[in-house]
Amino acid sequence: MSHDKRTDADSRISRRRYVAGAGALATVAVAGCSDDPEGDAGIEDDGADDGATDDGTTDDGGEAEAGELEIVHWWTAGGEEDAYNALLDGFREEHPDVEIVDNPAPGGAGSAIDTVIQNRVLDGNPPSTFQIWPGQALTPYTDEGLLEDIGDSVWDDEMREAYLDDIVDLSQPGGDLVAVPINIHRLNNLFYNVEVLEEADVDATDIDDPQGVLDALEAVDENTDAVPMAHQTQAPWSTLQLFEAVFLGQRGTDDYLSFVEGDVESLEDEVRAALELLSEYADYYPEDAGSISWDQGNDRLIEGEAAFLHQGDWAAGQYEAADGFEFGEDWDMVPFPGSDGIYHSVIDSFVFPTNNPSPEATEQFLNYAGTVDAQERFNPIKGSIPPRTDVPTDDFGPFLSRQIDDFDASDTQPPTIAHGTAVVPAVQSELEEAFANFNDNLDIDTAYEAIRDAF
Amino acid sequence: MFDRIRRSLSKRRGADDGSHRERGDNAGDAPSDGLRADGGTAAEPDSASLATRLRRSQFLESLPFWGPPGFLVLLFVYGAIGWNFVISLTGWEGLGQPNYSELSTEAYTTLLTDASFIAAFRNTIVLLLVFTVLSLIVGLVLAILVDRQIRFENTFRTIYLLPMSLSFVVTAIFWSWMYNPRIGLINESIRGVVGVIDSAVFWTTVELGFLTQAWLDDPRFKLAAIIFALMWQFSGYCMVVYLAGLRAIPSAQYEAARIDGASAVRVYRRVIIPQLGASTMSAAVVLMVFALKAFDFLFVLFGVNPGSSADILAVMMYRVAFDRLQWAYGSAVAMVLFVMALSVIGPYLYLQYRRGEL
Repeated sequence: MSHDKRTDADSRISRRRYVAGAGALATVAVAGCSDDPEGDAGIEDDGADDGATDDGTTDDGGEAEAGELEIVHWWTAGGEEDAYNALLDGFREEHPDVEIVDNPAPGGAGSAIDTVIQNRVLDGNPPSTFQIWPGQALTPYTDEGLLEDIGDSVWDDEMREAYLDDIVDLSQPGGDLVAVPINIHRLNNLFYNVEVLEEADVDATDIDDPQGVLDALEAVDENTDAVPMAHQTQAPWSTLQLFEAVFLGQRGTDDYLSFVEGDVESLEDEVRAALELLSEYADYYPEDAGSISWDQGNDRLIEGEAAFLHQGDWAAGQYEAADGFEFGEDWDMVPFPGSDGIYHSVIDSFVFPTNNPSPEATEQFLNYAGTVDAQERFNPIKGSIPPRTDVPTDDFGPFLSRQIDDFDASDTQPPTIAHGTAVVPAVQSELEEAFANFNDNLDIDTAYEAIRDAF
Repeated sequence: MFDRIRRSLSKRRGADDGSHRERGDNAGDAPSDGLRADGGTAAEPDSASLATRLRRSQFLESLPFWGPPGFLVLLFVYGAIGWNFVISLTGWEGLGQPNYSELSTEAYTTLLTDASFIAAFRNTIVLLLVFTVLSLIVGLVLAILVDRQIRFENTFRTIYLLPMSLSFVVTAIFWSWMYNPRIGLINESIRGVVGVIDSAVFWTTVELGFLTQAWLDDPRFKLAAIIFALMWQFSGYCMVVYLAGLRAIPSAQYEAARIDGASAVRVYRRVIIPQLGASTMSAAVVLMVFALKAFDFLFVLFGVNPGSSADILAVMMYRVAFDRLQWAYGSAVAMVLFVMALSVIGPYLYLQYRRGEL
């Protein structure tokens, strides 16, 4: 009994101590919260400096107005991060007084950044600048006047002339120029493993249209053990962009543009035809298409276990990184059959949010992002081409140089649905849902109705 | 919540009142005061008795203790839920601010005709029921097995419980490897077993290749595959709850039943399992709530678009709100989810309340 009582008393005391301890902790926590936010910023800043080379940040004691430039972006994967750091290095050389706060929101193709940025913009606390697709992806921001017009401050005549018209148009979805495109990826590529195609007795350059792709897939399936098309269906965006490629290849840019403007009903037969062909492609995907990511599929192409891949030219970065896998000899690429003169463009850009915490530094950064120097540093590492047409191509490898030539010679540079430039985010999301279901059931009627209702 | 506080207070009051009165008597206070405060016979409240009453009011005395946390919970939990409901009525879209002047239930009527909502709702219900029932059954079986004074009981208990401690993110990635149709463990073992059967029974004519499936691709198996993975993770938890329930049953009952000649199956079916109602109840509620929150698992596997065969309300809510910026519509989905959670928790809390366990 007495023993029991004692433990009881002990536990009561310790409980009281717990409460006291918790109270003390809470006090400390509150104090921590109310502490200066620069504490956190300082830590992040250190991280950025570690990632980049440490030369940039010289003492900024005197210049109060320069401020800190907070950049939110999603370039955190290997090559992307290197490219981004190269960009920052260039910026630091020109503006050593600006302190950069690097604030990545990792997640492929911006899956996490949207949430971060939207919440901050809604709270009236945007970063200095952030990475975003231009075009329709900007409309939620421009509708509410959340982006500063930079037509005068950044887009001078020299810069306007250096950009192609379609790209300039994408930077002004609401009329004002609000974004600075920094790189362009091509989406309508058909990559292939040269050896596998030789074995299958298929010549990729002979394929004329999307229907021809199907024949080639059949030939690969018959003549080799390789997977004909290293497509992934785990997430719907790859199928959505493949649909875009097929539609572009079958119908050309004009019909494609009226499609993305929402005129689906008058194109019903064309859309159904594209879906039909897409459902036939599906026989030639890997059996685990639904369990792999696009780069895992691409690995199989590198290993000679797959023949074709439709993907943006970020896929080429993986080939460059692979040992003994050479452009021209081991892998090559043709524009997706039927879309030769088209440069289907995936673009990243930076913008100038209103309520900007560092207007001056942001303007300096956007100005820099539009220069030859910035795009020459950033793009070869990123594996994309510069949107400016006057960037020297010396540093770009043979593949990217060819892409640049194609770009300069291209007739049209239509925007993409799967990468935000062609349709507003809500429509994009509904189309992705439609293609998620299409991946599941390959039901053309349901898919067509969902596509029609998405707009 | 308030009921709970009040009742716990009234208990204390009973205890405290005695001491108050004692003190009052000892100090030789005016007897009328004591009478009024305790007996409530006062006709008109004069200022002195009001002050005394205030001073002695248990409500005020306890206020500093439950007031601040109660206020914070009200504001941040119930306030947020209320605000969410209001937002669901506003039709708020995009990156502007919501307009509270025009409220309508349009979001809810749209829900009823939205095919993806219907699919998500159906999947959520299926997930909720099938996952809960299966986990309870597996957990019960494990608990009964572990309870039979086996060797290494603690080891087994740990092994079964361990998956519960993993985050959904880990288990999702882990199961996506398990389910990989080409190199995944599940199909590999099926192939192995089929291979053995084929070689042993050489005259077999049955093609068993259909047993290997693209588990996470095929709309027929997607949800089942998810439920199985979740069951793997949570049946260990059920086992622990049931084990506690089993340990609480006196061993005399086992002996008595055995003396009466009941078989082991009969003992469990007639004597033991009927006594596990409380364990089942509490485990089921936890499981159901987890089923409603299976967002992480699906999000890691499929992103925001699991397809209509595996979509659940939690994922849909995220997709609508953050992918499409349709905040009001997303809030409406969230309210449906909230009502579902409430209809799981509500009856449970009510039962506990009736039993006087709250």
